[in-house]
Amino acid sequence: MSKTVILYGTESGNAEMVADDLVDAISSERDVESVDMSDFDVSDFDAENFYIIVCSTHGDGELPSSARPFGAALDSERPDLSGIRYSIFGLGDSSYETYSHGSEIIDEKLTALGAERVGVYGRHDASDGSLPNDDALAWLEGVLEPA
Amino acid sequence: MSPFEPSSAPPTGSPTGSPTGSPTVAVVGSGPSGCYTAQFLRKQWREAEITVFDRLDLPYGLVRYGVAPDHQGTKAVAKQFDRLFERDGVRFAGGVQIGTDITLEALRESFDVVVLATGLSADRPLDGEGAGLAGVYGAGALTRLINGHPDEVADTLVLGQTVTIVGHGNVAFDLVRLFLTPASELLALGVDAEVVAAIGRGPVTRIELVGRSAAPLAKFDVAMAKELGKLPDVRFEAEGLDIAVTEGQGDEARREAIDGLVSGSPASAGRSVHVRFGWSPSRVRGDGAVEGIDFVAADGSGAVLTLSTDSVCTAIGFSESETSAIRRGDHEGPTSDLARGVLDTGLYVVGWLRRGPQGTIPANRTDSKMVAETIIHDVTSGDLVVGKPGYSAVETALNDPAASLSTLI
Repeated sequence: MSKTVILYGTESGNAEMVADDLVDAISSERDVESVDMSDFDVSDFDAENFYIIVCSTHGDGELPSSARPFGAALDSERPDLSGIRYSIFGLGDSSYETYSHGSEIIDEKLTALGAERVGVYGRHDASDGSLPNDDALAWLEGVLEPA
Repeated sequence: MSPFEPSSAPPTGSPTGSPTGSPTVAVVGSGPSGCYTAQFLRKQWREAEITVFDRLDLPYGLVRYGVAPDHQGTKAVAKQFDRLFERDGVRFAGGVQIGTDITLEALRESFDVVVLATGLSADRPLDGEGAGLAGVYGAGALTRLINGHPDEVADTLVLGQTVTIVGHGNVAFDLVRLFLTPASELLALGVDAEVVAAIGRGPVTRIELVGRSAAPLAKFDVAMAKELGKLPDVRFEAEGLDIAVTEGQGDEARREAIDGLVSGSPASAGRSVHVRFGWSPSRVRGDGAVEGIDFVAADGSGAVLTLSTDSVCTAIGFSESETSAIRRGDHEGPTSDLARGVLDTGLYVVGWLRRGPQGTIPANRTDSKMVAETIIHDVTSGDLVVGKPGYSAVETALNDPAASLSTLI
C-alpha cells in the first residue's frame, strides 16, 4: 500500500513544523505521515512509498541535529536505494555562503545510493525573517501535480 | 494586555481547567525553553489548559532580546511560537511576574504542573579590581539595550573609540559586529535612534577582542567569525592565534576562520579589530571611569598584557540574577532530580535555569523535549495526581490590583 513519508531533519523545530503543515495539507487525499529522520531506520526505505525530504541547515552548512544519525546510517549501512523516489525541500539562510547546504548533503547521499530525485529542488531563504511554510506548501503542490 | 488575538482554536475540553487525566500547566518564562516546553506538552495533550507567563509584556525572552537584530533568520523561530498562542489554544499571560504579582506557592496551588523557564539573565562580572567602574558593561545588558528591552537605558552608554571585549563566545562576536555596523543599517533594523547614537558617538574605531582559550577551544561559532569579514573598512589582526592545543581538541576551523579574517584584511582601514588569545582578565584600571584593563597569560607563565581602553564589555557568561523574583536554590530539595528537570512535586525546571548558560535555541529545544517527557511520564504514570483548576484560580487576583492571592489562599 503506497504511502507518502515525509522525513524531516530539524534543529530549531522549523523543519518539523513544515513537515506537519505538509501532512495537514495532503492528508485528506493521501496516506501520509511525517517522521523525524532520527527516528527512521534506513533499511526501512520501501520502493512502494514516495518520500518527501524536508531538511534545514545548521551552523556552517552542516546537517541539523535530527538528521545526523540518519546521514551517518546512510554512510555506514549503504542501503540499496534503487527504485526509491523522493522530492526534497531545503531550509536555509542566504546570508551564509553555505546556503541550504544541509539538505544538499542528504540529497547527495540518497542519489549516491541509487535513489531518484523527482520534481523541483525546493528551497526557502530565511534571511528576511519569513517562515518556510508557505513556500513549502506551494512547492509541494507543484511536486504532486500529475505529470 | 496580550499581544495576541484571542485564540481561534476550539475551546479546551471544560470551561475551566483541563479534561480529566490531563494537567493544567503554568510555564514561567516565554523564552525558547518555555515555549518549546509548551509546544511539546500541547502535542501530547491537545485539550489541556496551558498558560505561559512572562514578566514582560512582549514574549520570547532571548529570541527577542538576545538574538542580534541582524539575525532575522534566527529570530524567525518566534513565528513558530506565535502559533501556540494564535492557533493552538495556549494562553500568553504577559506583564505578570511570578514571585511578586503572585507567589510561586499560589501558582503551584492552582496549577498541576509549573515549569520554571526563566533563564539566566545576569552578566557574570569580572573578578578583581575595577569591575564596577563606570564604562564597564555586560554584554547581555548591551544586547538587551540594542534589542529595545524596557529595562535598559541608553544614556549611560559611553563606548568611546577603543572598546575592549572580554570573552570569545558568540555574544562577544555579536557585539563586534554590531559596534561596527553602519548606523543607517542599525536604524533600518529597527534599533532605537538613541541607542544607535550612543553606539556611534565615539565612534568605535578600535576593538580589542580578548579571550583566555586557544582559538580551537574558544566558544564562538565559525559562521559568526566568518560573518565579521563582511564588515566594511575593518582591518583584523590576531595575536596568540597559534597557541597549540592537545591533538584532537577543539575545532581547527576556528583558527582558520580568524586567520581568514586577518589575511583577507585590507592593508589599512578606518577601523581595526585585534583578536587576542590566551589572556585572562586581572583588573580594570581607572579613576572613577575606565582607562585601561590588564590581563595575565592564561597558561600561568606570568606574562602580562596592558591595554588602554575607553570601555570594557564583559562577555564571559551568564548567571542567576541576585534580584530574581524566583531563585532556583530556594526550591531545590531532597526530591529534586535536576537531570530530569524535577525540582519538587509538580514543579519542573528547564533550559538555562536547569542546565546552566550554555547552548543556543536548538540546544534548549532538546532540553524542553526531555523535560516535557519527564512531565508526561509523571502524569501518565499517575505519579503526579492532576485536577487543579488552572488559570481561573489566579485570574481574579491578577486582574484586581487590590486583591492579593497570598491573602486569598
